[in-house]
Order: sequence, then C-alpha cells, then structure tokens
Amino acid sequence: MKCIITIELGTNGIRMFAYDLDGKVIGSMRGYYPTFHTEPDHSEQDPEQIFITTLYVLKNILNEYIHPKKYKVASICFCASMHSVLAVDKNGNPLGNAITWADNRAKKEAQELRRSELGKKLYAATGTPIHPMSPLVKIAWIREHDAGRFKQTSKFLAIKSYIIHQLTGEYMIDYSIASATGLMNIHTIKWETDALQYAGITASKLPGLAPVFTSAGKLKKAYQQSLRLPADTKILIGSSDGCLATLGDGVKGEGKATITIEDSGAVRVMGPAVLKDDKMRFFNYLLTDNCYVSGGPTNNGGNIFEWFTRQFGDFTNPFDIENSIGQLMEEASKVPAGSDGLLFLPYLLGERAPIWNANARGAYFGLNIKHERKHFVRATIEGIMYEIYSIGKTLGEQRNIKSLSVNGGFGTIPFCTQLIADLFNKPVRLRRQFHSVSFGAFLLSATEMGIYKSLDDAAKTVELPDVYKPNKQHHAIYADYFTIFEKLSAKLFDEFEAIDELQHKYAVKLTS
Amino acid sequence: MNQFVLQYGKSNELLLFPHILEVGLKKNASVSFNTFLTTATEGLRLYYIIEGRFEWRINNQPVILYPGDVAVIMPGVPFGSDKGNLEVGAFTWIHLGIQKLENGQVVPGKWSGLSDSEGAAIGKILLLNPSPVLSRFSEAGKILKCIQSELFSTEVAYQARVNHQLDELLIQVTRQLTRQNHSARDFPKTFMHLEEMLRQNLAHQWTVEEMAALVGMGTTLFTEKVKSYSGFSPINYLINIRISEAIRLLKRPDITVTDIALDTGFYSSQHFSTTFKKLTGYRPSEFRNNHLRNI
Repeated sequence: MKCIITIELGTNGIRMFAYDLDGKVIGSMRGYYPTFHTEPDHSEQDPEQIFITTLYVLKNILNEYIHPKKYKVASICFCASMHSVLAVDKNGNPLGNAITWADNRAKKEAQELRRSELGKKLYAATGTPIHPMSPLVKIAWIREHDAGRFKQTSKFLAIKSYIIHQLTGEYMIDYSIASATGLMNIHTIKWETDALQYAGITASKLPGLAPVFTSAGKLKKAYQQSLRLPADTKILIGSSDGCLATLGDGVKGEGKATITIEDSGAVRVMGPAVLKDDKMRFFNYLLTDNCYVSGGPTNNGGNIFEWFTRQFGDFTNPFDIENSIGQLMEEASKVPAGSDGLLFLPYLLGERAPIWNANARGAYFGLNIKHERKHFVRATIEGIMYEIYSIGKTLGEQRNIKSLSVNGGFGTIPFCTQLIADLFNKPVRLRRQFHSVSFGAFLLSATEMGIYKSLDDAAKTVELPDVYKPNKQHHAIYADYFTIFEKLSAKLFDEFEAIDELQHKYAVKLTS
Repeated sequence: MNQFVLQYGKSNELLLFPHILEVGLKKNASVSFNTFLTTATEGLRLYYIIEGRFEWRINNQPVILYPGDVAVIMPGVPFGSDKGNLEVGAFTWIHLGIQKLENGQVVPGKWSGLSDSEGAAIGKILLLNPSPVLSRFSEAGKILKCIQSELFSTEVAYQARVNHQLDELLIQVTRQLTRQNHSARDFPKTFMHLEEMLRQNLAHQWTVEEMAALVGMGTTLFTEKVKSYSGFSPINYLINIRISEAIRLLKRPDITVTDIALDTGFYSSQHFSTTFKKLTGYRPSEFRNNHLRNI
C-alpha cells in the first residue's frame, strides 16, 4: 500500500497529514514552533527549530501510522507560508533567524516603493502587493540596516528552501513561493531584473526556480536511516499554503471563490488570467504555468475574536479558549442580525486588502443605550465578516463569483459560515474536519504520480458536501449596515493615521 | 500586636530557628529619615504591608506598596527607600536564611518539610520571578502573624508549627507569584513566557513540575495543555529547543561538543550524542564535520 505525506510549514508550527492514494486521511500530527518579537515590528522564527520540529514530527507520524502498517511512502510533499526570508552564508548556515510574513520592519521601504512608479511596475510584473510582508522590501531593508548580514549572505532563502536544503542538499524554490517574494516575474517565470536591482542583489543570491511538481533531490543517507525511508522516496517541492488551500477546495474553474479564515484570512479565486488592479489591492500568485491564484488577504480573522474572548469571555475552565469561544458564539446567536445597529471595524492589526492601511485601527460604532454585552459579541463577529465581504466585493468587480467555499478553523464555525452565506447572499460549501491546504498538497502529489491527468481533473474530484443557504432577510440587513462599514473604513483614514501616531508617541516602553 | 524585632543570635525566641535571621513588626507613627537605608543581604526577605503606603526600591526599581501587598526580595538584591525615608504606616517582615547550592540553585534548607525537588522548584521560580511585589495577598499576612504568635507563646510543638508555617509561606508566595503573572485566559502568552524562561536557562535540568509551577499550573493540566498546544509533551518540547540550540552551536567551530551538551542541558556528552542522533540521524561530531567542511 502506498501513501502520500504532506508537510505544511505554517505560521504557528508544522502540520503533517498522511493520505492513502484515495485521499483518505491515515493520520495527522502537529508540532509547534514559536515566533519571536524581539522588537515591536519584528517577527522571526528559528530555522533550526523548524527543521528539528520537521524531523521530529515526521519521525513520529512514520512510526505511529506508516511503518507499523507497512505503508510505502510514495511522496512527501511540502507546503509553506509565503513571504519568509532567511539569509544563509556560503556554508548554508543561517545568518540570524528567518523573517516571517508578519514582520513589519520594512514598512518605510514598502510605503515609499508603493507610492513610486517603480512600485506600480513591480506590482504588475511580480503579482505581489508592495507591503512589508514582501521579501523584496525585506531584503532591501537588510541591505540598508544590516549591512554586515547582507554582505555575508550567500543566498536569501524561503523557510521551505532551507528545510529542503537540510534534507537533500538542494537549493530550490517553487513557483508559488517564489511568486510571493515580489522578485519573480509571474508572466515570464524568471527573476525580475528591476526587482533584483531594487533589492540590490543578483539572481545568484536566490535559489533556483522550480515548478511545483519538481522532485527536490534525494533524502540524505542519515535521514533515510533515521526515518527508515528508502532512497527513492520522492521529496516533492510543492507549493504555498494559499495556493494549495484554493486547490484543496476544488476552486479551479470559472465562478468559484474560496474564503479562508484562520487567525488571518483571505478570499481567493484561481484561473488562467491575473487580476489587474490600478490600486494594487490583489495578489496574483502562480500555482503552475497559466494558473494563477488571485485574491486579497486580511490581517484580522479568528485572532481578533480570540482577542475579544480573552478580554471578555468566561474562563470557567482555565485556558480553555475553545469552550469560551463556544459560549460567546451562543450568546451572539441570541442577538438579531446586524446587532441592533452596533458596528465593529476589526482592524486591530492594521489591514491589508482591500484598504492596505497598516495604521488602521479597530472601532465600535453606533452604540446606543440599549446595547448590551451580547451585542458587542455579535458585532465583533459581524465586523470580521464584513471585512471578508469587502474583499469579496472588490474581487467581484473583476470576477463573477457564483459559488463560494469556506475553510479554516474560524470560518468553518457554523455561526460564522452562516454569516458568510447571508452576507454574500450565496450558498457556501465546506467539508467538516477537512484540511484544505494539506488536501491541496495531496492533490498535487497525486497529480504528479499520474493518478489524476491534471490539476483540473484533481480539483474536480473535491467534494464539499455541507451547504449553508443564505437567509435573504438577513442579507438585506447586512447589506444596509455594510454600506456604513465600508464608508467608515475609508472615512477614518486621517484619524487612523493620527491615532497611530499618538499611540506610538505615548507608548510606554515595557521593561521586563 | 506591638512592635518588635527578633534576630537570630540575639533573641532567645529564635534559638531553635537558625534559618530565621530576623522577624519583626514595625509601626511608624511619623515620617522618619535615614532609618530605612538600602541594603543587600544573604537571606530571602518578605515584607507585608499592614497599613499606610510605602515607596521603596527593590533592585533599584521603584515600587509602591499598599496594605495587603508583599515585597519579595531575593538574596543579594538591594532593597530600601530613597534617602532611607520611612513613611507612616505599619508592616511586618521576615528574613529567611536560604541555602545556595554549588550549581546556583537555592533551596530552603534542612528545616523544611519540602522534598528536594519541590524545594528546588520553589527556589528556581523565586529566582526567575520578574516582579518583586505581590498585590493584595493577605494570606501572607495571616501566616506571618501565626508564625509570630507561635514564637511568643511557645505552646507544645511550636517548633514544628513554625517550620510548617514557613513552608506554607514559601509555597503560597510562589504560587501567588506565578498566578499573578499568568491569567488563565491566554495560553499562547503563558507558553511564550515559559519558552523564554527555558531558553534563558537551557542548562538547567528542568522537571515537568518546575515548568508547570513556573506558569502557575498543576502538572496534569499543564501537560495536557502543552501537548494540545504544541503537539509535544513538555519534556519533548524542551528537547526540541535543546537540539535546535545545539545545532546552532555545532555550526560554530569555537565550542567543544561536551560544552555544547552541558550548555544545552544534557547531563553528559553521551546523553547528548544519543538524543541528537535519534532525532537527526547524525552524531553531533559528524553533523559538525559536515557543516564545517562545507556542503
């Protein structure tokens, strides 16, 4: 019996799934690694710990589910968060920690570039919005502010490239991850000269570009032995979490869109053409030749409701946030749709799409004397969903979205899924206990093995049996309130700027 | 109770208690100067505020204490008030002799009924404690009062009772310290704090009890939460951090494998080598050679 293992190097840790060739889950495991914030704008991860966690979890999943049942591992497919940067020296040893997508140190560089003509040109060429998340501006930041590291750097890698290099000795980066670096031309699939020039590097400082189906070399002998895997085990380079979540939900084809809401969120479509946008609001990442995953990301998803729960939830069971979230959802369901006119702007972490304003902040609006605690609960959830809807609405200007699917821990909570269906006024499909990203990686591997003729065929096999139908009356109410939500988000631009300035000015430096 | 000061070596009441260096109660009716100067002592000092408001400095940091608050001053930490001023009010205190072991650990001493590992855990948590003030902790006041009245009344078995109460004081103070720093709402934050402490003290032979106590949790709940949050048991998670740090160090030529083993908390280079190979497939020296030789 053959099996496929998918490895997702995510923001909060690693997630592995083992599938049989029919796509049935044999087993799954997780392993956490931390994110360090040594400075307010910094967000880093330790490449060695990510590597050790990869080995550890892989070993555990093999020993628990695979070896005892005599499965043969046909392929191990990688998948990772986008936008990470790790500098390594000529021996391949890391120069400091990996910088994650959430790192904001390059915000000045990003702001300047975004406003320039070059920025517009690079956005159109690379598909990556000009934002501090982009490796393009991160590398420029290192050149400006960390000249020692810049000089010593032999290659700027993505986290996934580093892990694969440890396992096989190859330096490579797949099209999907590369297309999220702001350095690759998504039309020619080559490193973009103007981008390289802006970052101050040559293509030799980057790993080799490889299609997502590329076999990334042989496992080193020591790992073959310690993991008890044969030498011919295929290590598939794979793709990015965003692209694979979209594939995993079967969103290949006209009129389909998928909504992911975990800590953060995104609305995505997939197709043969890129979304062009003068306001540079959308990303266009590459899955394979002529297949782009496009859409908009939000910073404020489930993490915002977790924040709310930590402040105002009941913690009858210590540290049991799931239970507390459940109670609050229950409370929210007792409030009429629209929260009797209480609106919430969820921009606690600044915002990306569609307003792309790092200075945006949260607000409750429309409070009157009749509002109670439970209204705040519902308004908070509605605010997070209004923001998702505002991304979907801007996407809708370019694509006719007919069917929607939802995935991710927060989005698939029934109360949230229903809200999405009502807001979009469209049926929403999903599958419970389903992990879209890793299933996308499974489809990719299975296609590479010839089980499916193409990714199109693979995507067509995805079944999302649960359907949430929209409630027309609720939709009408939400649509009315949404117009105010949208106006507020734009109108408060100056005040966001002003309050951000004051928050920095009066920030008390914590000495712990 | 009236004002008093008992000191070991001077006061007969403390004859049986060489570990109680000083115990006392002070009622200050008017502001006095040059009476409360900054000092650093070998013992652990606990001050409990009964009345008034005091502005003191612990480890050069200003703190303000109100009735019910407890100041915890670790051995060697400077403590006193600016210019030795003492405000109006009342407080009570105890100075405890604490045993310092060669490996830097502190333990209560032979008088204590705490087991070696529990004593060491409490010592570790006190040492790592970032905040020297426990707010609204009247429990400590009650225990101190009980100790004092036992010392004066000398009823049957008072020696055991005093020592029991001292253990109780250490336990309650330690638990309160960890609870105060960790609300039961935010496990990610709690875990982050634990992770930081582990990294800063990687050479320490951590036990699950110590780790749990450090974040104010019982071991059962702690183990369950760590497992569901990180996917690893507490000890296995710690091994992750140790091996990650070891890998980083192995890539530097200037530190020996034995030193790396000890620095990262393995009790011998053999133990290090076995664990490292089990996880990575390489012996540490092989791994080092591969990386120094270039790839």
